[in-house]
Amino acid sequence: MLKINNLTFKYHKKAPLVLDDVSFTLNDGEIGIVLGKNGVGKSTLFKLIVGLIKPISGDILINDINLNKLKIKDRAKMIAYVPQSIQFGDLSVYETILSGRVSFYSLFPSKKDEEIVQNVIKEMGLEGFLNKNVNELSGGEKQKIAIARALVQEPKVLIFDEPTGNLDIGNEQLILNEAKKICIKKNISVLISIHDISIASYYGDQFFLLKDNKIKYSGNKEVINENNISDIFDVKATIKDIDNKKFIYIEGGNYEK
Amino acid sequence: MTREIKKGNRIKITTLIVAIILSIILFVVGIFVGSSHMGFVECFKALFKISTPAYNNIVWNIRMPRVIAAFVAGGGLAISGLIMQTSLRNDMASPATLGVSNAAVFGANVSIIALSGGFLITGNNVNNLTNAINPFATSVMAFIFSLLSIIIVLGLCKFRKFSPSTIALAGIAIGYIWNAATTILQFYATDVGLSAAVIWSFGDLGRATYKSDLLMFIIVILGLIFFMLMSWRYNTLLSGEDSAKAMGINVELLRFLSLLVASIITAVCVSMLGMIGFVGLICPQVVKRIIGNDHRYFIPTTFFSGSILLLFADILSRTIGNGSALPVGAITSLLGAPFFLLLIFSWRKKDA
Repeated sequence: MLKINNLTFKYHKKAPLVLDDVSFTLNDGEIGIVLGKNGVGKSTLFKLIVGLIKPISGDILINDINLNKLKIKDRAKMIAYVPQSIQFGDLSVYETILSGRVSFYSLFPSKKDEEIVQNVIKEMGLEGFLNKNVNELSGGEKQKIAIARALVQEPKVLIFDEPTGNLDIGNEQLILNEAKKICIKKNISVLISIHDISIASYYGDQFFLLKDNKIKYSGNKEVINENNISDIFDVKATIKDIDNKKFIYIEGGNYEK
Repeated sequence: MTREIKKGNRIKITTLIVAIILSIILFVVGIFVGSSHMGFVECFKALFKISTPAYNNIVWNIRMPRVIAAFVAGGGLAISGLIMQTSLRNDMASPATLGVSNAAVFGANVSIIALSGGFLITGNNVNNLTNAINPFATSVMAFIFSLLSIIIVLGLCKFRKFSPSTIALAGIAIGYIWNAATTILQFYATDVGLSAAVIWSFGDLGRATYKSDLLMFIIVILGLIFFMLMSWRYNTLLSGEDSAKAMGINVELLRFLSLLVASIITAVCVSMLGMIGFVGLICPQVVKRIIGNDHRYFIPTTFFSGSILLLFADILSRTIGNGSALPVGAITSLLGAPFFLLLIFSWRKKDA
């Protein structure tokens, strides 16, 4: 269980607050979706949770263990992160995934590390391109490799920062299905930021809507309603339920004027 | 599954073995060629110390320390450059990025010009080795100033959390300060002092002695071991700083230690031999284009490629010099640069 308590952050002393007293809880086996405008602080929130930057105040707890008190190495065993822009070295797919376990083996991988990597490869069906150079893969495949690399950390919480930003709808579905599968099968919490609200409402269990440096609305699918979405994104949103799925469209703007 | 994975590493292992064999061959060739027109048989005899005393002396006291120096310093500068490039994530980084070479030159200038050039040893004259009051004085000064440069740059960059671009820029700025100080010092130098100082800054393997070889060997081997132990961390670092941190790497500490070790290797080599450019820049680039940047193979292969380049340049400098060895530092660039240009313009696949 991921628990965020009163997280506050600004980049330096005189800068304005980026996040102001943010608190929420995400249970094991649930997908949490963070929604909000560009620049509202979604990536900052994720970086704080992963520990890439330090908060001014507030705690991040996983199963009641305070992450801020852990060493970088031990933190990596609790939480894994797939950043917005994925980079790889000129390594094979296998070596890339194996590098994800570096916090466990520290110098050189052991048999156990290789076994765990091979299990994840089997689970995700990546046997086909083990020896391929990871940089020669397509965008969707790269995203899958990044997920596999995060999974070998055996985390309790998995953080995806806009995993589907550069993907076509087919790959978007593939990646989110993968996330859902992992979440249920391994009973871990997955926190994702995406922009497509229809898709978000389909995959998410909990929703956190960010505006003005705070979580303005949060809860289950009920919070994805016309009023909240219109407020968060400053648009006039209309939401229709078809077959129990939410479809959203935005009223035409005033471009004609 | 395991068998399939091993297959992918075959080309890397083959390249490494070829590099090792090639460097050993050049090492042996380096003993057999030189400016003294010694025959093959005589040289072979001298190796077992059964030739004339002069030939024995040439092989064991001039050529041997020299090829050892080429082997060790070439490899050391190459891995130093590689680690600079990986930890700063910058292909333009070189062993001298922290201003180490410029500082060493300034230190040597202080020793030669300000503290009188009596300390200087130059060229292949064996007598110098025994007659000089303190043959290491200039090297010691050069080394002290290189260390100072490392301390200043890394000390300053601690305030910026060792951000790669800050380190590179700070290193360049400090380098300019050393250069300026050297220029001012040389302005007040005598003709003899000035020429001695300028000649010192040419990389010259002829200065190598068994003592200096041993010192370089120890530092370079310790550095190589350290880098090899960190090879998986460097592999992780290739995924970007944020990802590496999220995977549990203390990126700032790794970067600090890597830069420190790489710079000390450079400082020792440059203090002993003078400026030998380009090895540290070109070798990692060439090797990366052949086997990719899996550091488990990338580091050792780059080491031997550096040895190959410097041994080859040394052999060439002694054979085309017609009696006197040309400065090997110039030969490495003269040889390396066109080859490098050919490589970057012909190899389009991995130009990133």
